Amino acid sequence: MYLRIEKGSAVPISRQIADQVATLCASGSIKPGDRLPSVRELARELAVNQNTVLRVYERLCGEGLLEMRHGQGTFVTGRMSKARMAAHRTRLVDELRQIVRQATGLGLSPEELHELLGEAMNGEVTAARAAD
Amino acid sequence: MNEPAIDLQAVYKSFRSTPVLRGVTLSVARGKTFAFLGRNAAGKTTTIRMLLGLLKRDDGAIRILGLDPQREPIELRRRVGYLAEDQTMYGWMRVDEIVRFVAPFYPTWDHELAARYLRDFELPLRTRIKHLSKGQNVRLGLVLALAHRPEVVILDDPALGLDPIMRKQFNRDLITHLQGEGRTVFYSSHLLYEVEPVADEVAILDNGRIVRQAETESLRRDVKRIILSREAYTAVRPDLRLLDEQIDGGSVVATVEGAERALTALGREGVEFRVVDLNLDEIFEAYVAGRRGEATEAKPQAELQPLA
Repeated sequence: MYLRIEKGSAVPISRQIADQVATLCASGSIKPGDRLPSVRELARELAVNQNTVLRVYERLCGEGLLEMRHGQGTFVTGRMSKARMAAHRTRLVDELRQIVRQATGLGLSPEELHELLGEAMNGEVTAARAAD
Repeated sequence: MNEPAIDLQAVYKSFRSTPVLRGVTLSVARGKTFAFLGRNAAGKTTTIRMLLGLLKRDDGAIRILGLDPQREPIELRRRVGYLAEDQTMYGWMRVDEIVRFVAPFYPTWDHELAARYLRDFELPLRTRIKHLSKGQNVRLGLVLALAHRPEVVILDDPALGLDPIMRKQFNRDLITHLQGEGRTVFYSSHLLYEVEPVADEVAILDNGRIVRQAETESLRRDVKRIILSREAYTAVRPDLRLLDEQIDGGSVVATVEGAERALTALGREGVEFRVVDLNLDEIFEAYVAGRRGEATEAKPQAELQPLA
């Protein structure tokens, strides 16, 4: 599980971790049934307070995205809460807007952007088939 | 065990006629990692030296694990690990020699633990201390501060002079060997972005007083920057706990604590505003260098500090 913590960001560390784990779940990089690193391991890896990591895991468990199985660890359930889904969607729309702005800045026409998006989607479908 | 690990009540200290601490009050719960923040010469090292009984306070009370550092310094040093700022050790000693030299001072010294730290920290046993790098020096200091299994560990600006790789490594050491083992850690630093991922709680020392003590995450929820028009600002200003205010053209950029109440007040007035999240650096700056022009009522608003 690759997470990137941006130090000095205006986004609190706990939110950075929670958002990135949710994004990895949504994108399928981590799948239902996958075991996440332990609190201790992830805290060490990211050089982040163990309590912070624990609180993030607990919150994501509360939302149903993760579950703690006693003595076994923390696992992905794949269920995403409505609130988290909505937040995710908002972020996605923001990112799409940014992409559109960048494309406009580069002088791409709407048709060209549609075409590029189509190609990207085809690439993802092919990659997913190859992975299955 | 609800007694705090570290407790200061209205501590005063002056050097000659210069007051350094003017009533410092703070409390650290057991098992917490506590970052003590302040500008250079704010009095951080003075406070730390008083915690260890190395300096006498003029007034106030200090308890560490229930002990008064001035009255019971020996017992205190047995239960507290200490890494001084820019700790200088005998440069001619080898790493293994200084460990053997320090061990007998502590009845609870754990030789196996010391050996494990030396291994984990990849310290070269046969190298003379004067030939160690800055990072290795800090790690050796940690071995000496930790091998007697202290309940409380006090570190005076341990990240000072470390490069970014060593700082991250130091944070990992702190998380694995100190937080992971349930020890109370009290450390000073001026590198706020390094402190934020690690500290449970922070205190900001300014002008000889603690201007804020809070959990790291609640502090970020509580301090926000609000941008609004001058008219709206005049209406809500009495409701705000201001840290800093600056004029930017027709609007005011105000940094406030108690953000939740401020936002409620703004909502009640029905004024338009924008909220900006701040990082720990910006929050720290607002507390120690915030500018409040006592301007809105008595004086014209133009006397507010303009944005640089």
